[in-house]
Order: sequence, then structure tokens, then C-alpha cells
Amino acid sequence: MWKWIQKLASPKVFYETTNKLIPWFFWPFIALIIIGLYWGLVLAPADYQQGESFRIIYIHVPSAWMSMLVYFIMAVAGGIGLIWQIKMAEVVAKVSAPIGATFTLIALVTGAVWGKPMWGTWWVWDARLTSELILLFLYLAYISLNNAFDNPKTAAKASSILAIVGLVNLPIIHYSVKWWNTLHQGSMFNDISNPSMHPDMLWPLLIMVFAFQFLYGVLVLVNARDEVLVREQNSRWVRAVVTGEKL
Amino acid sequence: MTLAETLSFLPYGQYALYIWLSYGITFILIVGLFVRASINYKKIRSQLKNKYAREND
Repeated sequence: MWKWIQKLASPKVFYETTNKLIPWFFWPFIALIIIGLYWGLVLAPADYQQGESFRIIYIHVPSAWMSMLVYFIMAVAGGIGLIWQIKMAEVVAKVSAPIGATFTLIALVTGAVWGKPMWGTWWVWDARLTSELILLFLYLAYISLNNAFDNPKTAAKASSILAIVGLVNLPIIHYSVKWWNTLHQGSMFNDISNPSMHPDMLWPLLIMVFAFQFLYGVLVLVNARDEVLVREQNSRWVRAVVTGEKL
Repeated sequence: MTLAETLSFLPYGQYALYIWLSYGITFILIVGLFVRASINYKKIRSQLKNKYAREND
């Protein structure tokens, strides 16, 4: 395992591996998104309280979970880059930021659109919504900081420290519905063996969560592959990849 | 008549506006990520090709 990780730290091996993995993430994403959308939008019954509007859950919850998961991955990858100086970890952290920011934006926008018919307002400054908005600002700050330096090493260092400090926001988002009185509903998975959702509604949600995870995977791989080419542009193997010359 | 009432002929009735708006925005943002990746892919390869061609001259 350690040998494999060490091998993957080589930009050339990393590039080749991303190329091979892309279809393994893309096609499951397509299959899962089709099944999840059909199940969630057509087969799942309407909610007894919220009616049809609850169907927004199938994009709101997966994107909200992914917004936190991607941030965690970004901070851990940034930390690995800082401690072990693994350039490919820096690449993963860098390319994850815009994807995570987009998931956060989706969670905020779909939450606002869902809030209008349910709460009567698009937005309230409650703990869950505000901490999720702070997460978006953290992503934007990370992206700005990463682009503020010409030297990728310095950029990775500065932005990784920011990402690690920002980790403190994740438990705040997660526990906000417990720690404060909020309009936002509580967690559905306090007891994993007994979720507060009927299986007919729960299964499409889980499928959509997996679909979003594969989506993140494919986007990270595609963007990381290009970022490696830019960083390693003075290597002979990149020249060979781009021009088609033989090494 | 509100916009939500006007669009209530769509599937999901009175909630059609909110559901389709949510899914529509999500679709646009996700497609945007793929388009951005595709533009980057072409741009980076073309920039590197030009760089290597200049170096060969």
C-alpha cells in the first residue's frame, strides 16, 4: 500500500493513473444519476407534510454533504502536501476547491429555493445556513489565495494553512442544528439503523449521494490531470504526451 | 397570479417552480464544471504545444 502511494506521488504515474480512472468514475456517475433522478422524481411518493417540494432533497442533501466532504479532502490533501511535500496532494487540494465551492453554492441555492415554499422566506440568518455560507467564503478565500502567488509551492503552502484552519467550520455546520434553535430540520441519520425516512424515499437519496461522489471523483481526476501537465511542463514526459513525440 | 401559480401546470403542481428551478440551477452549475474542465483541457494542451514549438525553432 505504502509503495503504491509512493508510486502515485510521481507526477507521471499520477497522470497515467488519472487517465485510466476517469471512465471508472464517469460511467457509474451517469448510471447512478439516471437511476437516482428517476427514483427520486418519479417513483418516490410525495411527503405527507411537504408534498412534492421535498424532492429538492435529492440534490440539496447530496450537495451539502459533498460540500463538507470535499472541504475535508481538500484540507487533508493540503496537510499531506505541507508535511510530506507531496506535490500531487497539492494538486488534489487545488483542483478540489472550485468543485467544492460549486457543491456549496448548489446546497445554498437549492436550500433557499426549498425554504421559500416551506418557511415562507428565501433566507434566514440561522446557524446552519450561515455556517454553510461561511464554508463558501472559505472555498473562495482558498481559491483567491492559491491564485495570488506565482510560485505554486508558496501558493499551496499558504492556501493549505487556510484550509486546515477552516476545518473548524465543519463540526459547526454538522452540529449547528443541535447546538442552536434553527429553522433547518435536524439530521435524518442520528441512528443509522433507524433513519427517519421511509426506504422508498431514502434509497434514491443514497443513490444520489453516491452519484455526487462519483461526480466529484471524475471532476477531480480530469482537472488534476491538466494541472499536472502545467506543473510538469518542463519534463520530457509531458512534452511527449502533448506533442506525441517518443521519449 | 404568482409565478408559482402560473407554472403549476408543470409536473409537481404548486411546487413545480421551486423543484424545476432547483434542478435547473444544479444542472447548469454541474454542466458548467464539465465545460470549464473541457476548455482548460484544450487551452493547456494548445499553450504547451505552442511553447514546445517555440523551443524547437
